[in-house]
Amino acid sequence: MEQLELSSRIRAAARRANLSSVGDVLCFSGRDLQRLTGLSRSDIDQLIQAAAAAASRSRPITALILTRGFESGRRLSLGCPVLDRLLGGGLPVGGVTELAGESGAGKTQLGLQLCLSVQYPPHHGGLGSGAVYICTEDRFPSRRLQQLIGQQRLPTDITCLTFTDQIYIEHTADMASLQTCLSRRVPVLLARGLVRLVVVDSVASLFRSEFQASDWLERTRHLLSFSSCLHNLSQEFNTPVLCINQVTTVTTMVTMVTTASQGPHPLSSSVSPALGLAWANQVLVRLMMHRLQGTVTHGDQSSALRRLEVVFAPHLAQDGRHAAVWTEGVRGLEEDA
Amino acid sequence: MQRPVSTLSLGSSVIVKLVSNGFQFSADLLHLTALQLRKETGLTQQEALEVLQAVGRGEGGGGGASMTALDLLQKEEELRSIVTFSSQLDTALGGGIPVGKTTEICGVPGIGKTQLCLQLAVDVQVPQCFGGVGGQALFIDTEGSFIVERAVDIATATVQHCSLLAEDSEQREAVTTFTVETILSNMFVVRCRDYVELLAEIHLLPNFLSQHPRVRLLVIDSVASPFRQLFDDMSQRTRLLNGLAQQLISTATSRDIAVVMTNHMTTRVQGSHSQHVPALGDSWGHAPTIRLLLHWAGARRLASIFKSPGHADATVQYQITGDGFRDVEQSEQPESKRPRTETDQSAASQRDDGVS
Repeated sequence: MEQLELSSRIRAAARRANLSSVGDVLCFSGRDLQRLTGLSRSDIDQLIQAAAAAASRSRPITALILTRGFESGRRLSLGCPVLDRLLGGGLPVGGVTELAGESGAGKTQLGLQLCLSVQYPPHHGGLGSGAVYICTEDRFPSRRLQQLIGQQRLPTDITCLTFTDQIYIEHTADMASLQTCLSRRVPVLLARGLVRLVVVDSVASLFRSEFQASDWLERTRHLLSFSSCLHNLSQEFNTPVLCINQVTTVTTMVTMVTTASQGPHPLSSSVSPALGLAWANQVLVRLMMHRLQGTVTHGDQSSALRRLEVVFAPHLAQDGRHAAVWTEGVRGLEEDA
Repeated sequence: MQRPVSTLSLGSSVIVKLVSNGFQFSADLLHLTALQLRKETGLTQQEALEVLQAVGRGEGGGGGASMTALDLLQKEEELRSIVTFSSQLDTALGGGIPVGKTTEICGVPGIGKTQLCLQLAVDVQVPQCFGGVGGQALFIDTEGSFIVERAVDIATATVQHCSLLAEDSEQREAVTTFTVETILSNMFVVRCRDYVELLAEIHLLPNFLSQHPRVRLLVIDSVASPFRQLFDDMSQRTRLLNGLAQQLISTATSRDIAVVMTNHMTTRVQGSHSQHVPALGDSWGHAPTIRLLLHWAGARRLASIFKSPGHADATVQYQITGDGFRDVEQSEQPESKRPRTETDQSAASQRDDGVS
């Protein structure tokens, strides 16, 4: 408030009226401000203009400048060319990506894989920084992580990358600790540049376990503040956030049967991501992973057939790819079987 | 006019001076000059001028001179609408998204709200010889969902569309300057992270619009997300939203700009059943002139006009293609002829994921 370019008379009047921040000024109408401060109309106009100029962080820029921007089109690679192609290069930097699926679909596998791919330098599809992995349901699968690290084939121009000490793991078993983790520890890690990927595995478990069906309103309030917190972190630090979500079964209706023949679709599938609309409104990209009937083999390994689908994204069409989980990680299958 | 002086938009010290000197109603002040007023009340010259201005404003009936309905009709006919590139939706809306009015687009995530906004931000720039508006667009992005690659895709398709249509020499010449680069350079983007930044941006709007008089479209995508974070005081939220709506409506009418904003959907529970309704409450519903609801019916996307003073309720089918917001091809057309029942079914099928 003290930094606004205003005459000392206006500033003093604002101080007397207990307007301590620019937000306070903007939340009152011009008429209310006049009553509070006793200033004249033109003084109030000046005050509002100055406050608005201070509060807006950026001026409008043209989309042309955006295309030439440093971070334009930056994506975090999934570490698999087939899946990267499906997602137009990978996860968008700056935005919440949701990955939903039944248990055993391979969601956590993809989360782990991203924790490794984020550590590669930008010309290899990474962001050259670490990751923070927030577990809310299970123990962190560190053995599987070790196995994945052992399978990494480093490009020739990278001599050393010690993956493990760049992955920060948080276990949060209740809402309160999740709140502290997201509001205190994660911002510090992000601000220091130690991490540039936040994985939450899973968002649904706490909200589904801690709230009864009758606490519906309270749950929605918490969910809104949680999702906007993730959204703000991702925007402020220009960091991809991956949220792993459970699914809930949609009771199949008669109308569903008629639409099911029209191909894969969010409403025609029998499961949909948990947590409902209050959560979905904050999601930029929604992905779903399904476990399908059948197995695929690759060398001496065999894996259940899976499918990664784009349910919605502002920049992608609805599409999907078959995938499988191998020792070296989740890989898309080149041709749709 | 018998308006009490205390209700005028003046500083409290000025009002005290006026009232204590016997000026109770604005009519008492009408015939005074600034000099007389200063002598009577001991106000400064500037204060006296402000008083007279405030009184004059009250008399003038709110800024602009009144118009007859005929004048207004002629003025509205001069203003073109922004086409959506879905001819069915354009027909339903009487030509497209109207300039000079506010339009709200509601829908569940992934239905195509942002796609329609991006499409409009490109379409507003279609040159006038092609029946477009030939303006610029300001895109206020509150969710971080403005992805510039997508704008490039839609712009490329629109440029191609226009170059195929070009027939006479005027159109052919317009096409040479209507390129993806010019489209992108006429699209201004600003990102707001919370409601304070959004309010600030709206306060700065008059300045921006004076500097860029060709702006014909203001997009706010979305108006809901900054206002759905935790508000301790819900009455404050309502007040802020009302103020915002007022400012947007006055911007739209005074500067001939189409204001398009998107809104989330939320689940409303009434007794044992629940339904999807636009977020931000009932009082916000009065703010936009036109409300457009995008929704699923099975695998099909439908757009319904459900509030508009000038158009009948209508439901049309659309699709989102790589090129942008489009009609569904004619061959699939007959399926969309029964919109009513389909809508009800989709509402029924979505009920489950809302309460899960």
